[in-house]
Amino acid sequence: MDDLHDADCGCQEYNELSRRQFLAASAGVSAAALFPAWLPKIVMSNNYASGRDIIVSVFMRGGADGLSLAVPFADANYYASRSTIAIPQPDSSASTHGINLDGFFMFPQAMAGGAAGTGGLMPAFVAQDLLIVHATGQLYVSRSHFDAQRYMEVGKPVDPALVTGWLGRHLASIPPLKPDAPLRGIGVANGLQKTLVGGPKTLPIASPANYSIGGSTATQPQRLAFLDADYANADEPVRSAALAATDTVALLKSVNFAGYAPANGAVYPTSSFGRALQSVAVLIKNDVGIEAAQVDLGGWDTHSAQDPLAGSMFNTMRDFSNSIGAFYADVIAMGYNVTLVAISEFGRNVRENGSRGTDHGRGSVMFALGKGIAGGRVLTKNWPGLARENLEAGQDLRVTVDYRDILAEIVQNRLANPNLGFVFPDWTPTMLGVTR
Amino acid sequence: MRTMTRVGSKAQRPESAADAGQEVRPDPTPRRSFVFLGALAVSALIPRAARAQRVARRRAAPAGHAEDANALVPRESIAAFTEWDSSVTRLVRRATLGITAGEVQHASSLGYQGYLNYQLNYARIDDSAVESFVQQKWPLMSQTSDQLFSADAGQVRTQLQESTIYRAAFSQRQLYHRMVEFWSDHFNQDVDKVGYLLVADQRDVIRAHALGKFPDLLKASAHSASMLVYLDQNASRSVAPNQNYARELMELHTLGVDGGYTQNDVAELSRVLTGWTVQGRGNFVFNPAIHDWGSKTVLGVTIPAGSPAVGADGIKEGEQILDMLVHHPSTARFIATKLLRWLLTATPSDTQIGAIASVYRATGGDIKAMVRAILNDSWLPAAPMKLKRPFHYLVSSVRSAGPSVSSVTPLNGQLGVLGQSLFSWDTPDGYPDKIEYWAGNIVPRWSFGTTMSNYNSATTIQVDTTPYRAGSPDAAIDLIDQNFYGGEMPLATRSGLSSYLKAGTFNDTRVRETIALAIAANAFQWY
Repeated sequence: MDDLHDADCGCQEYNELSRRQFLAASAGVSAAALFPAWLPKIVMSNNYASGRDIIVSVFMRGGADGLSLAVPFADANYYASRSTIAIPQPDSSASTHGINLDGFFMFPQAMAGGAAGTGGLMPAFVAQDLLIVHATGQLYVSRSHFDAQRYMEVGKPVDPALVTGWLGRHLASIPPLKPDAPLRGIGVANGLQKTLVGGPKTLPIASPANYSIGGSTATQPQRLAFLDADYANADEPVRSAALAATDTVALLKSVNFAGYAPANGAVYPTSSFGRALQSVAVLIKNDVGIEAAQVDLGGWDTHSAQDPLAGSMFNTMRDFSNSIGAFYADVIAMGYNVTLVAISEFGRNVRENGSRGTDHGRGSVMFALGKGIAGGRVLTKNWPGLARENLEAGQDLRVTVDYRDILAEIVQNRLANPNLGFVFPDWTPTMLGVTR
Repeated sequence: MRTMTRVGSKAQRPESAADAGQEVRPDPTPRRSFVFLGALAVSALIPRAARAQRVARRRAAPAGHAEDANALVPRESIAAFTEWDSSVTRLVRRATLGITAGEVQHASSLGYQGYLNYQLNYARIDDSAVESFVQQKWPLMSQTSDQLFSADAGQVRTQLQESTIYRAAFSQRQLYHRMVEFWSDHFNQDVDKVGYLLVADQRDVIRAHALGKFPDLLKASAHSASMLVYLDQNASRSVAPNQNYARELMELHTLGVDGGYTQNDVAELSRVLTGWTVQGRGNFVFNPAIHDWGSKTVLGVTIPAGSPAVGADGIKEGEQILDMLVHHPSTARFIATKLLRWLLTATPSDTQIGAIASVYRATGGDIKAMVRAILNDSWLPAAPMKLKRPFHYLVSSVRSAGPSVSSVTPLNGQLGVLGQSLFSWDTPDGYPDKIEYWAGNIVPRWSFGTTMSNYNSATTIQVDTTPYRAGSPDAAIDLIDQNFYGGEMPLATRSGLSSYLKAGTFNDTRVRETIALAIAANAFQWY
């Protein structure tokens, strides 16, 4: 696509955006639906193309209970509201006691690698590379999983015309880290997560280690040539995906996934979440040009059997913290320019229900990890507390920090993308000192 | 290419764009009406000939005509291939899980309306061969929950998945199985959570009512142990009700998220439903001992306080609300919209939604009547194409390739690789039917084409290439066209396949590779 040169801009990615826009229109997909007509003039200069972070975005699907992930043990109302599923205080003699973070919040053992509190996410917290934001979420009130997830992934509530995701728009509004990278964004999933929709050269790849069209090696080039030609006239978004796919098949063939040895003694859990993060680590270390990865972890919709000391919530938290802990040791602690964020669509009721679970609530936690993150603390803004009179609708932890404030600061300062108005339309972020 | 870039740049960067970082705020109202107009235009207003012309021009000359294919065309409205010019073949594509030469022939002999009636009156289609194969091959599927309680959980899951694939591929009741797929998503459950209970749900709720009356279907689901366990209703008690089922009952099963209920309605309905639970090995019961007898108000209707002395009749409170939900105008619109999206277009017009919702109201939620109204011979031939989901893609490959099948195990594994392992979507909204979700998942499809065409085992799956090799290479391409594309393979694909076949030795291997490419080709991804 060398001839796609735009004299007005002179930068390739700008043209990539233009080309996609055009292809979308010509192929019958509403261009306006992919990229709004009011698209502001995007700043594209190459001087921040290097040294910026790769982002790994984790969605905790199902509405993760922030009050179990980072427990406000110093708030007496926590214990009053959770008669059967509360976690004992750090100085409790109970074997299931929590692990102190800052004298007010604590991790359950499942988040900190066990009773000693030296594993899971604890090393990242101690090294001040992990920031926990509490009483956060989205200001717009929705207790529907599907609406709340969509609004968060799109980066704006209730706008049926906006169908791209915030991370897709980030990629679309910044030059590639590597100019010829065939794959800039990856959703480690069977289908592309909403967060990444609209990203150029962005594909869902559930298993990067097994990405091939199969069949005889001898005829593979001819067969790929047929497919390339056949999909050249396909409708968007299939056309772009197919073209990116043929390039990506060649790219991933050159990466040795099977022989990968994590650094720093890191051990990824064998769960699908652990394997997904390990795949992302391999791609980052092979310097293939990946700039954004979206990885999901489900299992947070704990209407019942939420016991944080055993069972499904316990296992999900352990998978979450051990997988991210391994990724931290293997990649972030080794000095790679990577920021990882983890969010959920909402938190859960402060009071437990009758089935040792909790129903859909509001405020929850967010996590941000990276060498450029001002971590080692739990960030709150006017912590509302758990007293009944301070709860939203008398039942939920309030949302005091909109998730976009956290993401926007990372997009601007760690991903070096100044186009915040494009990534988060109609939102003026408040910078809270998330980054160093 | 130069022209293309300039047009694109202009389109995406308005003259009035503000400086860096400052956004130009949109006025959302005109854009929404744009999209709406677009939907109307594609589905109803543009004459067929003009539409075909536009498609032809777009496909032939992608550069330099950006102004033609403007933003009036809504997202996910993708005009069908010009080669797809037979209405009755379009109906076969839409009403089945995949073309076979025989099905197209049969439909053509019955005519559009005749074939639609044939598929809708599914009970008259003899399916005994398929059913007896299922009974013999997957015996757990005929068992009751009480019997299944002690069965191996992995076996139950496998038999459920495999028998579903087999029925979808080989049942003559194709439209019925398209609706089974639809309702399995509408009332989605994850087999990981509900286990053996799902067998009875699939049999007594989904398959029993897939083309019946929606109120019967909804009420059967509300009495299904599997559904109540999946959405934690079995764990709800008066002292602290669990809101999971109450919420999804309104959000996903009846009214829709914008159907006019509030968080308070969710809380109140969860109180009404306390006592709806599961006992023993998957038996639905109403347990008065855990029912909340206080007064409740759901959607403006007040249920007065009762007393435990009412006992088993306390279930009537919930039944009253279920009745109210199935007769609610939001439910009629919500079900109409979802059915239109499934069968016709991702972007149904307000007129279409209104028309089908009124069929719902006039017929008491008769699913067959709504499906008949949607698949009419003026809407469907003008409808955009839809992208097959992995299940549909896999099943359609099997149908078109027409192999002999004695085991579905390899196919079940492949469906997992393709990304749609059955009954494994863990959230209650069901597998997405969105093009932007599945479009990027293309390499596994290409790989599956190769796997499918290479099945050659008498004990599992066998694709016989003899008929393709009986004549000339051109005759082989003709046969592929008939079997996989109903004789409407796009010309560009046809010429590409023909070149590929002729570039090698005309033998079993080359024919299988060509079939693999016919399955992997773009046009085979759509219906």
